[in-house]
Amino acid sequence: MSVNDLDALEDLMRAANRGDQVSYHRVLTAITPLLRKVVHARGSALGREGCEDVLQDVLLAIHRKRHTWNEDQPLRPWLYAIARHKVVDAFRARGTRIELPIDAFAEGLPAADAPDPTTGRDMEKVLNALDPREADIVRAFGVNGETTAETAARLNMSEGAVRVALHRALKSVAKLRERMIE
Amino acid sequence: MKTDDLIAALAADTLPQPKVRAQVLRALPVGLAVSLLAFALFWGARPDLAAALSSLAVLKTLVPLATVGLAAALAMAQVHPATPRRLRGALLVAMLALVLLTLAVSLVQGGVSALVAALSTPSAAVCLLSIPVLAAPLLGALLWALTAGAATQPRLTGAVAGLMAGCLAAAIYSLYCDKDMVLFVIPAYSTAIALVVGAGAVLGPRWLKW
Repeated sequence: MSVNDLDALEDLMRAANRGDQVSYHRVLTAITPLLRKVVHARGSALGREGCEDVLQDVLLAIHRKRHTWNEDQPLRPWLYAIARHKVVDAFRARGTRIELPIDAFAEGLPAADAPDPTTGRDMEKVLNALDPREADIVRAFGVNGETTAETAARLNMSEGAVRVALHRALKSVAKLRERMIE
Repeated sequence: MKTDDLIAALAADTLPQPKVRAQVLRALPVGLAVSLLAFALFWGARPDLAAALSSLAVLKTLVPLATVGLAAALAMAQVHPATPRRLRGALLVAMLALVLLTLAVSLVQGGVSALVAALSTPSAAVCLLSIPVLAAPLLGALLWALTAGAATQPRLTGAVAGLMAGCLAAAIYSLYCDKDMVLFVIPAYSTAIALVVGAGAVLGPRWLKW
């Protein structure tokens, strides 16, 4: 799906707000390249990993504040407002430890073990600081791609309890990241 | 963690977030109950309340209440990013301008000596103290509820929340206050409300962070 497909994006987001996981996944996947561009345009001084961390902050903010989008308004201005707020925040907080982009120096070096450019660093720190069970649930869905049923079976929980646990874990993640930024 | 992995984790969490309106409707009655209880215990209605409410003095209650409505509309727009808010802001400014214009007309008619005479009463100090005290639980409830939103200008949104709390407290206090002259009500109430606006502006950046 193209990001320019605005109607489709808003239809998907409305479906997402009614609990449609597949639509929500498609919205997040479609807007991420767009948001990455916004973050890079403003935040190139943060370095590549720093930018990806800010992008992940923006995605978390979109997730935690998605109910503040008015469903009869276009989605894109709302996305930009959230992204701008988070990028400015990141700059204010990280301004004191801006990293020099090493890409310029790295040119010509063998790219054999280049890290995945979409990996952030903050998230690992947050997951390590999180309650182990919460971190396990976030990793189960994110890294391992488990379904609710699989996680429920593995942890001997009901599916409803897994959903609540994931919801709470992501809330803790957002709060911890905020505290780390300060 | 890779961004795609984060997206997968986020997409799996489909539990709805509480809406701002729902949070306001949950918190404000609690704050209002606390304020009204305090009012009933320590202030109480003026003896001639019925007569006052059927005179022009009813404006002491109605104008603050109308301002609460306008400020609430603006605050709701402020915590929903990219919602048009110019009209709501303009309506609120128009209301404030109308109040100031009324004060100016009364001032021209009565002169500064009338203003000094009107405010030279212990009631002025009581008003300046009572409205912020009655507003405190309301401001707390409102700021808590607004954290469910996404304030992109937290200081301004905090100030608007302060305006809501201050005006609501002024409407409550007006049921006790027996001073009905324009030259008392507008300066004293406005100053007291401005204190609450200031408190909201100070608390906003910290409370409404996200």
